[in-house]
Amino acid sequence: MNSGDYPEDILQSLEDYNIDIRDFLPGHGKGAKLLLDFNKISGIEQVEGIVIKGREIPNGIVADVVIKEGTKLEEPIHLCFGINKETGVQEIFPRIIAEDNTDVKIQAHCSFPNANGLIHKMFGHYYIGKNCNFTYSETHYHGEKSGALVAPVSYIYVGENSVFENNFNLTKGTPGKVKILIDIYAMKNSVIRSNVKAFGKSNKDSIRIRDSVFLEGENARSVIKMKAAAKDGGEVLMYGITEGNAPYCNGHVECSEIVLGHGSICRARPFIRATDPTSSISHEASLGRFPQKWLDELMAKGLSEEEATDVLIEAMLQEEVIL
Amino acid sequence: MLLELKNLTIPTLDQKRVIVNEVTFGIKEGSIHAIVGPNGSGKSTLAYAIMGLGGYKALKGKIFFDGIDITNLSITERARLGITLAWQEPARIDGLSVHRYISLGMKDKSKLREKIVETLKIVNLEPERYYDRTIDESLSGGERKRVELAAAIAMEPRLIILDEPDSGLDFIVLEDFMNIFEKIKKLNMTILLITHREDIGMVADYGTLIWRGDHIVTDVFPKVMLRYCAKAGLKEFCKRTLFKNGAVCFDDDYIDRIFKEEGLS
Repeated sequence: MNSGDYPEDILQSLEDYNIDIRDFLPGHGKGAKLLLDFNKISGIEQVEGIVIKGREIPNGIVADVVIKEGTKLEEPIHLCFGINKETGVQEIFPRIIAEDNTDVKIQAHCSFPNANGLIHKMFGHYYIGKNCNFTYSETHYHGEKSGALVAPVSYIYVGENSVFENNFNLTKGTPGKVKILIDIYAMKNSVIRSNVKAFGKSNKDSIRIRDSVFLEGENARSVIKMKAAAKDGGEVLMYGITEGNAPYCNGHVECSEIVLGHGSICRARPFIRATDPTSSISHEASLGRFPQKWLDELMAKGLSEEEATDVLIEAMLQEEVIL
Repeated sequence: MLLELKNLTIPTLDQKRVIVNEVTFGIKEGSIHAIVGPNGSGKSTLAYAIMGLGGYKALKGKIFFDGIDITNLSITERARLGITLAWQEPARIDGLSVHRYISLGMKDKSKLREKIVETLKIVNLEPERYYDRTIDESLSGGERKRVELAAAIAMEPRLIILDEPDSGLDFIVLEDFMNIFEKIKKLNMTILLITHREDIGMVADYGTLIWRGDHIVTDVFPKVMLRYCAKAGLKEFCKRTLFKNGAVCFDDDYIDRIFKEEGLS
């Protein structure tokens, strides 16, 4: 497939995230790929150890991605769900299975550069086997108009001794109305890192994210880090949920949100629950503005207060989770 | 004079007490000028007032920078005129890379990478190790201070205020920092050094002693330090360590005279 076969504005929109478009077009780069243009499958490319199958349905697709046992890949698997229309409905039903002893990364791009009320829904199931190292990163861009209505739901099972990292990034453009639900079930000795970042920039933006980890296996560990900023009427609500339901499991939820400009609302609701007396679950949440000292330090370099705030938001939304 | 303070009085935030009382002195362009004094004497207050931080507004007096009255200018305006401040405990901003931080105050962003690499070398940080690091807890206190210095140098300011750059550093690092100050001076930048350590102050050309908020003396640095010892009643310390082994020595008679002026034998 040539890059000319795929809508140029979708490809360009990803460059803002430093994503090299050639890496995910079939025929380019080394990784496996599934490329979607609205509700049409534009290309599938498989590599050894990765099986990708897709079927078109009236408003979207059903897709299976299977990572065969023992597969270890340096190159990420690219899933690109692009739409260059202003309106319409896209529904994705992915099933992702990582068999035992696999080590892969999935990079998903949901790019809707002309969105002006379009609807994107996803209902995903993920099964991560034993002894896996699995990273799922999803980057969203909903254009600069009124954004999209985005409602993905993901159920993720993480097997024994596996490490699962989830990165969700919605920090550029106009998000629109976003409702995201992520449920992660962590088995024995598994490690979960979930890193969610969102930026509501105007009163067109309403973002609600619920990120839940259920520690169901002995010695399972997790960190949820949710970072958000709301500016000029934007609204962000983040629920970070962790349940400790197994011996010696350990979880932490952290929500940090910055509110800028009148009419903006940030809400953080860390929710923790333990049913095992040996489990340890904690949370912390902070809302408000950046410390004055940080602003002073940047202003002493010649930045205005607004420029300094933008730099701090940029930094906050780039921070990574370390467990 | 590049910077002049005239009868500057800085009160506490609640205005109930004066921290710095009618201080007047000047800083020559191209010099290293140290402000010394014991803890709580108002040194850092002076630094913050010169930079224009909120909460350090002048109750009385004026601050002039290159002849311009900057007393009522904001931090940003002062920084754009060529003043910057490197904090005693600079913030650790997770997610901000070293190179991005250093680039923030650069006026000319052409050949950015080359300039950042050059600046890192000035503060003795290996560019290949530090360029992409983030300014987080993984940096030691000394490394963070070097990054702060690099960011200040990259602005090419006319005046860099260093607020107790010596705090929390071991003597090996301290020696290195003094060499860095000399390098900054060679770049035609003026340094205002806030310190209460005589060893780091020895790189200074001039000094000012602040004592309980009052200006005591502004002179060449060794004389200021001698006066500081006299105020503190540290005659033996002064004779034993300060100027016998330092670059400038005073004979015992001179030291005795200064101490007598302070009413001490």
